[in-house]
Amino acid sequence: MKTQRDPAAGDTRTDHDLVYAARDGDTIAFDALFYRYRDGIFRLGLAITKDPSAAEEIVVDTFARAHRALARLEPDDSLRPWLYRVAVNLSYNRRPRKGLILSSLDEAVDEALANEDGSPSHVAEQAELRRLVLGAVDELGPKHRLVVVLHYMNGLNLTEIAEVVDCPVGTVKSRLHYALRRLRTHLAAHPELGIEPSRPIMATELRVPKQITAAVPIEGE
Amino acid sequence: MRVFSRGCESRQAAYLAWADRPEAAERVALEAHAASCVECADALRYGRRMDVALRGAFAPIRERRTIIAPGRVRLAVGPRARAATNPWLRAPRFFGRLAEVSVMVGVTLFAVGSSMDFSTHQPASTSPRSSVPGSLHVQQPVGDIDYVRWFRLVKADVSSIVLDPTRLPFGGRFDYDPVEIVRDLGASPR
Repeated sequence: MKTQRDPAAGDTRTDHDLVYAARDGDTIAFDALFYRYRDGIFRLGLAITKDPSAAEEIVVDTFARAHRALARLEPDDSLRPWLYRVAVNLSYNRRPRKGLILSSLDEAVDEALANEDGSPSHVAEQAELRRLVLGAVDELGPKHRLVVVLHYMNGLNLTEIAEVVDCPVGTVKSRLHYALRRLRTHLAAHPELGIEPSRPIMATELRVPKQITAAVPIEGE
Repeated sequence: MRVFSRGCESRQAAYLAWADRPEAAERVALEAHAASCVECADALRYGRRMDVALRGAFAPIRERRTIIAPGRVRLAVGPRARAATNPWLRAPRFFGRLAEVSVMVGVTLFAVGSSMDFSTHQPASTSPRSSVPGSLHVQQPVGDIDYVRWFRLVKADVSSIVLDPTRLPFGGRFDYDPVEIVRDLGASPR
């Protein structure tokens, strides 16, 4: 896909500098922030709402909130966790439009697959595998699905995900671990993916504690 | 009695070895542990496959872009936010609004004040008295039917009622001839 050249894409200033410049009325600085994060927020909104129009509205709403909150924003390093958190909240609060049949997450890749190189059979095979994986991701619960989407689609590391979902890193690890195990169980039904089901945890005999043979002092003796 | 073990404690770390990207030392330690632990070796192997499958599945979406321009954000925010950054731009609007409100209040006070005519008030003694309040001085029954009967039976003090002469026709007579009903003429209409 051809990428559009953004007028503010070459801005090398940090998010912190851009926020302070935008606070002083520098619209180019705000545009630079917009171009830096719009695609990521769009993809995040698309993954949650499965509606491209809604995802675009989420991008606009997220940056509108950022614009209103410029006076309060104090990004230490990156504005991305704050923006993504707002986008996630907006995505989950958005009700689906009436009469709109939401597609599965895998249908969002059709446009990209059409441009893929290779023989038609190979493209179809790859598309089928992707469809299986994304279908399994769709079946996860919202918390686990969000962690998977943020990591594998938006490329956030576990610490950044913890900031976005506002919970400890250990919780993020636990959710991702659970999600991977669930996905493995789902995908094991398709041998073409080469994934086997996880080994069942074997029941073990309870070890009976050894009898205490040492003399126990009795009170009063 | 049989209990179910929770599995190896390192299994989560083994699953997330590709996502969490641990440091070299941690990774070497994990692989060394996996060499002797079947569960962790299994998690490490299939964690890698899951990672590859998920990254491959999300790859087309990761390249997806949008062409929204920042102008849409400015439209969504509106001119209000731009004015909020500069207090001097807010001053003319504030004074304009203040003038509007002052004119509104002035016009309302004028309209209300001019509609009040204090000379139209009449003394209360000339207004006709109703017999109903006098009847209600007596304790009324609680039930609906009893109340209606009681209300009809209680007679008001008629002598105290001042009739309004303007409501009656002149001279106590109606100004048209009342219809007289002729009864028993003694003859058949035929």
